[in-house]
Amino acid sequence: MRNKIRWPGLALLVSSLALAAGGCGGDDEAAGTGATTEGGGGAPAAEQVITVNWGTEPPSLDPGLATDTTSANILLNIMDPLVRLDKDLKPVPGAAESFETSEDGLTVTFKLRDDLKWTNGDPVTAQDFIYAWKRTVSPELGADYAYQFYGIVGAQEYNSCDPKKDKCAALADKMGVKALDDKTLEIKLTTPQPWFLQQMAHHSFLAVNKKAVDQFGDKWTEAANMVSNGPFKLAKWQHNSAIDLVKDPNWRDAASVKLTRVNGRMISDGVTAVQAFEAGETDVDAQPPPPDEIARLKETPEYVQYPSLGTYYYGFNVKNISDVKQRRAMSLAIPRQSIIDNVSQGGQLPANGFTPKGMPGFDTINPASKWSPADADVEQAKQLMSEVANPKKAITLYINDSPGHRDIAVAIQAAWSQLGIKTTIKQQEFAQFLEFLGPPPNQSVDVYRLGWIGDYVDAINFLELWTCESGNNNTNYCNKDYDAKIEEARKTPDNDARYALYAEAEDILFGDNGDMPVIPIYFYTFPGLEKLSVKDTFEFNLLSQVDLTKVVVAG
Amino acid sequence: MLKFIVRRIFWTIPVLLVVIFLTFTMMRQIGGNPFRHSERAVPEAVQRNLERKFHVDKPWYTQYAYYVKGVATLDLGPSLVLRGQTVNDIVKEHFPKSIELGVYAFLFALVVGVPLGMIAALKHNTSVDYGAMFFSNVFHAVPSFLVATLLIYYIALKGGALPTSGWSTWEHKIMPSIALGFAPMALFARLVRGTMLETLQQDYVRTARAKGLRYRRVVGLHVLRNSLIPVVTAAGPLLGYIITGSFVIELIFNIPGIGQYYVTAVNARDYSVVMGLTVLLSVIVIVANLVVDILYGILDPRTRDARA
Repeated sequence: MRNKIRWPGLALLVSSLALAAGGCGGDDEAAGTGATTEGGGGAPAAEQVITVNWGTEPPSLDPGLATDTTSANILLNIMDPLVRLDKDLKPVPGAAESFETSEDGLTVTFKLRDDLKWTNGDPVTAQDFIYAWKRTVSPELGADYAYQFYGIVGAQEYNSCDPKKDKCAALADKMGVKALDDKTLEIKLTTPQPWFLQQMAHHSFLAVNKKAVDQFGDKWTEAANMVSNGPFKLAKWQHNSAIDLVKDPNWRDAASVKLTRVNGRMISDGVTAVQAFEAGETDVDAQPPPPDEIARLKETPEYVQYPSLGTYYYGFNVKNISDVKQRRAMSLAIPRQSIIDNVSQGGQLPANGFTPKGMPGFDTINPASKWSPADADVEQAKQLMSEVANPKKAITLYINDSPGHRDIAVAIQAAWSQLGIKTTIKQQEFAQFLEFLGPPPNQSVDVYRLGWIGDYVDAINFLELWTCESGNNNTNYCNKDYDAKIEEARKTPDNDARYALYAEAEDILFGDNGDMPVIPIYFYTFPGLEKLSVKDTFEFNLLSQVDLTKVVVAG
Repeated sequence: MLKFIVRRIFWTIPVLLVVIFLTFTMMRQIGGNPFRHSERAVPEAVQRNLERKFHVDKPWYTQYAYYVKGVATLDLGPSLVLRGQTVNDIVKEHFPKSIELGVYAFLFALVVGVPLGMIAALKHNTSVDYGAMFFSNVFHAVPSFLVATLLIYYIALKGGALPTSGWSTWEHKIMPSIALGFAPMALFARLVRGTMLETLQQDYVRTARAKGLRYRRVVGLHVLRNSLIPVVTAAGPLLGYIITGSFVIELIFNIPGIGQYYVTAVNARDYSVVMGLTVLLSVIVIVANLVVDILYGILDPRTRDARA
């Protein structure tokens, strides 16, 4: 047993040693390929095959059960969502040729295309979507993302029913999804949800082929059994080793798909992944390189960096650090830009609000908080600190035990020491850490680190965190005015009006008179590596999704 | 002998029950929610559905009984995290790869280590001896991940001779096997050298030589056989260790073996996978030790007589 416990520590050592060894060779090599390929121009290569390292095994390719980005990326390329998101994250028709929201915003109707086919030859119908959705919401499946459906009438009730006590079938029938005919899908919402269309691009809303599930049960997602309906098909899935997709020539828009094959690898160790890329074994490394490697890789033309909808933050326990002036001072003292440049090194953006850059309406919503500047304002922070009646000078900061988080915490610890605050950093293993934080909030915490990555494209996904009842609010912060703003925004279909409400909500948190229950630190970016032949067309959007139908291998 | 084996096999049952109990208790002690994979809190209804589905809502003794029943019927249950896969699927798909790696590494250690030790002993106190022992001391001390990293850097990245990672063709399998086999190889070499030197001093060796037997025959038949006993002692647990402890090598070379799963399963609180793999690995260690005891008897009749 002793050996087992030591392994994670060893793994870290491995990384650092490998870095030491790998640090010398890469640069000239990469520069060499850069010079030859960049001049070549855009003629597509004869062989349209790429190899992508996704970084991990997709835990599940069942649209109802998948929860992570790798699974989502495979699913969204082998299946056909009703709606896809364009570059600006606006919903555009996918499997649905058109969609319509009723005047009151409570009914959404999708009209499916006529030429949709499953790989087993069956047509894709509105019933396939209804089957998939009710299956995901059913208490028996135990789907994590069942809550994505809670905006649909009756979904939460059905999901909450206990099969041993209640009549669940009746509740399933009451769910607000209906096929008006084979090609028309009508959805009743509990409230007008202006983001509902964007949400449809999420993989949990994909259709599922009932025949495949009935025939193969849990195993319907294996390569031999899977029935899909998207631009690519699952050709091979060797667990924890390879997941290969091939183009489906029968897909509705197959003519526009250039890639014939996408070989997927699952190299989880960052250093190994970089080595495989540099040895030419992969064309794309979607696994972020280890922070220590980034400084070197950044100098190569193959390095890419994608912004993403995510915010890295420190939360206060507002009961323990109760004076807003101290909270503002602690935020002011953090040198965000310097931490990004010298510690995290991934080109992240200093955060001066909670809604991340790139979110539709960001320019309106962002409070440009003066308490959260890119460069620390220690003088003003000290001034504020001196005005605090009863400052808490010894605090405990909780983070999860990963070297990246620790390095940032140490930098912030140093910044706070300038205010006379003595910070004790406590690290915990991730699963223990999450349980420790709550809900309900743990009262021994003064400050904690967490991040939030958006599921769908609306600021509500971020701002609802800080409502009183939110299960993700571990700060004890509760402001009825804030909750009222969020509640009002939920009912405001007009985008501009809603963004204005979000702006007011952000102002309550981070404005000049803001409560500062959390300190925004940076907006996430995801670094990666891409061979120059695909660099122009292989793009991750803000939700870290890649549309493989757009990828072309340049010659 | 047979009685001895039967008794040993019978004894594995209480050992396994204790293993299951300890794993079960320790996994629960470390806390954490197997159904929460990210910062996102799990809605109450969803959590309840998941607990119901995987019987985590039952009292602990019922859950313990489920595991015992699972082990007894060789059905280790579904993974809590890798939805759609059972522990049996995971073992079936990934364990053979770990065994394969372990066996290759072990063979490498044996084939290189034993002759190396023999040569060193026969050329005692010559430069060959010193060279071989220096070599094996260094490699016994160097951890496998360093060997792995150096191999990747010089052979795969600089030389381009072999792929950096993966586990499909024979080319993929060379470097991991060597990296994992290096330390045991050095251990074997030192063990063989030590006992062989001792054996060469024995009276019966001198007698055999005095009787006129050829040196090669004496060494090949009598000395080597008796020098292998400590190798066998070390080999059993070592084989178990190589198979189960190859996690770092599996990680560096991205080999889809069982080691990777074991660690990720603990981090993800995938109770059933942790349980299943712990029991499996316990069985391996128990069996490896049993085999060693039996081999003892074959190599050294005195131990067999004592136990019979």
